[in-house]
Amino acid sequence: MRSPALILAGGLLAMPATAPAQEAAEDARALVARHGCGTCHVIPGVPGADGRTGPPLDALERQPYVAGVVPNTADLLAAFIADPQGIDPRSAMPDLDIPAAEARRLALYLRRAGREDGR
Amino acid sequence: MNRRGVLSIAAGGVAVFAALGVALFFLGEFHRLSAIQQHPRWVYAGLSVVRDTVVSIRARDVGLPADFAPEAGPTGARLFDAHCRACHGAPGVAPDDFALGMMPVPPPLVETARERPPEQIYWFIRNGLKMSGMPAWHLRLTEAEMWRITAFVEAMPLLTRADWLDLVAAPGDDSARVAEARTGAAEDGPHDAERGRIAMQVHACRSCHVIPGMVGDPDVRVGPPLGDVAARRYIGGVLPNRGDALARWIADPRAADPMSLMPDLGVPLPLARDMAAYLRTLSSSNSVERDVPSESSR
Repeated sequence: MRSPALILAGGLLAMPATAPAQEAAEDARALVARHGCGTCHVIPGVPGADGRTGPPLDALERQPYVAGVVPNTADLLAAFIADPQGIDPRSAMPDLDIPAAEARRLALYLRRAGREDGR
Repeated sequence: MNRRGVLSIAAGGVAVFAALGVALFFLGEFHRLSAIQQHPRWVYAGLSVVRDTVVSIRARDVGLPADFAPEAGPTGARLFDAHCRACHGAPGVAPDDFALGMMPVPPPLVETARERPPEQIYWFIRNGLKMSGMPAWHLRLTEAEMWRITAFVEAMPLLTRADWLDLVAAPGDDSARVAEARTGAAEDGPHDAERGRIAMQVHACRSCHVIPGMVGDPDVRVGPPLGDVAARRYIGGVLPNRGDALARWIADPRAADPMSLMPDLGVPLPLARDMAAYLRTLSSSNSVERDVPSESSR
């Protein structure tokens, strides 16, 4: 039987490493659900995000380009999510009025998600 | 012989083959990948024998056109100038700078012309030679053009440097002619999925896209994977996927989206339709569900 002190110590050690990442992931999943991204895209770690209108977002960290038009940096990905037509006027991706801060969090999540999924 | 005896002989045989393989790898210096260093003499000779034997057998299936004759005309010279000269040089003209660093260095073709029958030269032009740098021109030049180049190569041993320069200086718009050649490379018949697959091979589609049925880097993501592209609502993120949209996108991506990083690969529309036909076979056999992570994998 483990002592409560050991369990507490283990918890304290694990906390700083995992909790913020997990929180960020949960926050991003909530954003995906709220904005309906999964209607058009496959998104790793998000149940029901299985749309095929747009491309799958399951390996974004490996993609050199965003939407086939600009280099895949966190800034440009966030800018595209917030205002697709601001990046490419021809894009079929709808402007969902996602605030810049939320787009930024989504971009960071998507660029990490494929890796964390173990793919 | 008992079962153990058979097994030990088999194991011995496997060990001998493995040892021979390792010896060949190191003695043959197959671990030296630099293009500065040629193979050892005996590997070079061995590869040449294999190449010449295989090509002489394969070229027996090539049907020489009835009216074939070596011809050093301006059309052949221009085709050669546009598609061959950069690597092979021409009479009295060196290959371009980049080609001098290739391994193997593309050979001067005057000697090839003297040594090989036209069927073999045509075979090399059409099929290329794997890992040598020689590309396949199949589906990117017409049959007539590949034969025109063959006829020119066969006539090349009789040309001086001055003859060559005169021939390529003959007036005419080269770029227009090359574009015309490419458009002619495909007839617009019924869309042939298998021809589409080969066309995708010789237009390097697999370099940027994962495409089921084609071997390449399994992780490449320069462009999106194409396994279900024909089932997607939009092509290139811009074009509603209706009717001929996929083929039109392949033939001219920037007509649909001027910002697109998908390059124009000079695919004529009929050939793009064959490619689209191949891509459609993928999404009908790959069910939608297969691309979606299952509930249990989460």
